[in-house]
Amino acid sequence: MKKWRISNLYLALVFIVLYLPIFYLIFYSFNVGDTMDHFSGFSWRHYATLLSDSRMISIVLNTLIIALLSSLIATIVGTMGALGIYSAKKATVKNGLLSLNNVLMVSPDVIIGASFLIFFTFLGFSLGFGSVLLSHIAFSIPIVVLMVLPKINELPKTMVDAAYDLGASSWQTLTKVILPAITPGIFAGYFMAFTYSLDDFAVTFFVTGNGFSTLSVEIYSRARQGVDLEVNALSTLMFIVSLLLVVGYYLLGRYNQNRRLQRVKAAEAKINQ
Amino acid sequence: MHKKATYLIPYLLWIGLFVIAPMALIVYQSFFNITGHFTLGNYEQYLTNGVYLKMTFNSILYALIITLSTLLISYPTALLLNRLKNKQLWLLLIILPTWINLLLKTYAFIGLFSQNGSVNDFLRFVGLGSHQILFTDASFIFVAAYIEIPFMILPIFNSLAELKPSMINASRDLGANSWQTFRRVILPLTMPGVKAGFQAIFIPSLSLFMITRLIGGNRVITLGTAIEEHFLVTQNWGMGSTIGVILILAMFVVMYLTRDRKVKGGRIR
Amino acid sequence: MADNVIEFKKVNKSFDETRVLNEIDFEIEAGKFYTLLGPSGCGKTTILRLIAGFADVTSGDILFEGQRVNGLPANERQVNTVFQDYALFPHLNVFENVAFGLEIRKLKKNEIKIKVDEALKLVHLSGYGRREIAELSGGQQQRVAIARAIVNEPKVLLLDEPLSALDHKLRKEMQGELRDLQRRLGITFIFVTHDQEEALAMSDQIFVMNAGKILQSGSPVDIYDEPINHFVADFIGESNIIPGKMRQDYIVNFDGQDFECVDAGMKPNEPVEVVIRPEDLDIAPIDTGQVNVTVDTQLFRGVDYQITAHDAMNNEWKINSIHPTKIGQTVALAFDPEDIHIMRYGETEDDFDARLETYD
Ligand SMILES: Nc1ncnc2c1ncn2[C@@H]1O[C@H](COP(=O)(O)OP(=O)(O)OP(=O)(O)O)[C@@H](O)[C@H]1O
Ligand SMILES: [Mg+2]
Repeated sequence: MKKWRISNLYLALVFIVLYLPIFYLIFYSFNVGDTMDHFSGFSWRHYATLLSDSRMISIVLNTLIIALLSSLIATIVGTMGALGIYSAKKATVKNGLLSLNNVLMVSPDVIIGASFLIFFTFLGFSLGFGSVLLSHIAFSIPIVVLMVLPKINELPKTMVDAAYDLGASSWQTLTKVILPAITPGIFAGYFMAFTYSLDDFAVTFFVTGNGFSTLSVEIYSRARQGVDLEVNALSTLMFIVSLLLVVGYYLLGRYNQNRRLQRVKAAEAKINQ
Repeated sequence: MHKKATYLIPYLLWIGLFVIAPMALIVYQSFFNITGHFTLGNYEQYLTNGVYLKMTFNSILYALIITLSTLLISYPTALLLNRLKNKQLWLLLIILPTWINLLLKTYAFIGLFSQNGSVNDFLRFVGLGSHQILFTDASFIFVAAYIEIPFMILPIFNSLAELKPSMINASRDLGANSWQTFRRVILPLTMPGVKAGFQAIFIPSLSLFMITRLIGGNRVITLGTAIEEHFLVTQNWGMGSTIGVILILAMFVVMYLTRDRKVKGGRIR
Repeated sequence: MADNVIEFKKVNKSFDETRVLNEIDFEIEAGKFYTLLGPSGCGKTTILRLIAGFADVTSGDILFEGQRVNGLPANERQVNTVFQDYALFPHLNVFENVAFGLEIRKLKKNEIKIKVDEALKLVHLSGYGRREIAELSGGQQQRVAIARAIVNEPKVLLLDEPLSALDHKLRKEMQGELRDLQRRLGITFIFVTHDQEEALAMSDQIFVMNAGKILQSGSPVDIYDEPINHFVADFIGESNIIPGKMRQDYIVNFDGQDFECVDAGMKPNEPVEVVIRPEDLDIAPIDTGQVNVTVDTQLFRGVDYQITAHDAMNNEWKINSIHPTKIGQTVALAFDPEDIHIMRYGETEDDFDARLETYD
């Protein structure tokens, strides 16, 4: 029984350490004072500041627009890519496409950021909304492919044949038979691309410019200047949003699929294969 | 057949423009110096100038320390979690913090570790006096490990959950005590999980720059910080790309070393 | 008494509220082949787990060579198990798997080598030492599992449905080999199966179980010929079970007639069940046997015909006959008094044994 107590103590400690910083942040967001080391009383003050901070609000909007747009476009391109990979006749072509697809899945963010920066500069593309959007689309496409492809592979071959047999054109077969059948995969891909985009810091940090900023980049630059309880207020709100997202994903049965977790899974799959 | 080609264009374009071109460009860029002339000087400098080698060595050392300490904390955690009743729910609670923006978690430590922060309060309370915690190597390692722990627990947990209970029973049946069972059966059979966790943490730890900057202070201590520094501060893209190429090579080495060694027809030891 | 390797004394086992073993009492003598036989979920594996030490009793005692071993960890018990799924270690090759227990006991390298080679030879796997587990067939894996267990020279070997994953032919072959191995080694085997044919073919002694209880124990012949109740009769082989009445000792009434039988010790006019095995019934021309029946179905099974028929009282009869009949034909069934076995309702094994004593 003593063993039981020690092991539970250990687990409790791990959980405390895991959650302490998060609740610490949230706790101090209600501080009347301006520091994270002395709680001098309860107030909504920092939330008020946050809500009247027009720069912060426009950054939140930017972040959302980038996330929504990039995930939408990545989903379209990725789905087409998955269909393309599926219909590739030669195994070498298929594997080649898959390997290229996975390059951005395994590359460290700094590398993606730096190489995209070189790329945009090389093309003379000005840094800002456009470059950030393109980058987010780019790093989200592979995950959409990886979500959609298994769904296509699951489709019975005979289903497509049956559609042709019943007189459907290839376009009709695609829109009336294949796409409806892989919709769950497409949705999963979309949601994942969305979280990838919301979560990203490093890539955006490299390719942004001209004053364009997203939440992560903004938090970074504020954090470099020291403690600012407006950031705490922001983190409380973001915590709530994350919680809602997780609950949503949990209900969808795929809570463990943000970007890093996806990479862990990829590594597991590779080692276990 | 014409149609097929059309709908593939965006995806192929993406591969060309955002997968092949940037990777090619980073290699290409590594052969140019700051004034835009072709040179092998970056590599030469990297290999001969002690600063770069030392930085690389330190980065690898830090990444190793981070990964191993994460492993040390995560393995027992995964083991204990696996014994709990609602283990999937508890696992979800381990994973939940990974959904909180990385920047925010790091930012929290700026408060916790500051001169008058809670950690120093606690140290004073137990009579150890206050210390400079922020901007030290220890705080950098601690925060990095904190961020990475769930990514190590998850694969180990999964490999433990897959372990058939009859394996453990068989080992006990053959006379092995708890420790021998762990050493000879559980650990080898969960190695794939450990390797996956190692991969998932070691490479990001090499390329970290955000935590280094915020918690480790304004020092260049990882390959990631070095790349960021060269690209965004000193504007020496050639050198930055060279370090990037090194990082990519390091990535391949790690993936090679942690690959599954079980090959068809036999085992390499 | 001294010969008992294992003894269960009023052993109960519950998971939460549900009781899966109920007052289990038995004795296992050294050097014999025992079989636990019963339908899925009746508690066979649970008994093995209690013996091996993977689980603890809720109440009652388990004795090993007269010593109480409740709570003794599995690694300190002199029994070894061949698991239902073999539980071979996938990270070790065949040799290393078999050597596992010996290495734990810190035997010398050359000693281990000798013993492992010997064990592999015993299960006809000489030369397979360097193979990976994944490279073995099901039957070979099963033999590695056996080698891994017997190499430790346990007092008792527990085998949990080790043959269930094999195809019919290999299964028959392995039944013979296992029986043979047990005789050669002289180790006590406790073998679990839910296949009655397998149990009858291999065992010295069978425990028939149902719903956490041992219903009957005895040699295969005893259990087959004198099942204690409806469940055992039905579970072990095919049987015709007909309700009847015991007129007096050695006279039973069923199907509207009195028959001579070899059972005694019941109350006069006690309601009983009558068991007659299908292979004990002979088909004879109409009115020349004990009962007339009309054939309903007939199925050719290679060695014989399986026939079902009904009598005038609408009791169903199963008959195994080497001669075919015709569907719809009325024939007579002939049987001897020794072919009739009488079962009392609700008789316990002890009462059953005691009653047999009175007239044997
Ligand atoms: N760990 C457990 N928790 C709860 N119930 C259990 C547990 N293990 C076994 N049981 C229950 O105990 C009963 C007996 O199980 P056991 O495994 O001994 O059956 P068995 O006779 O070996 O069956 P089978 O032939 O299918 O292997 C079953 O009803 C089973 O559901
Ligand atoms: Mg069982």
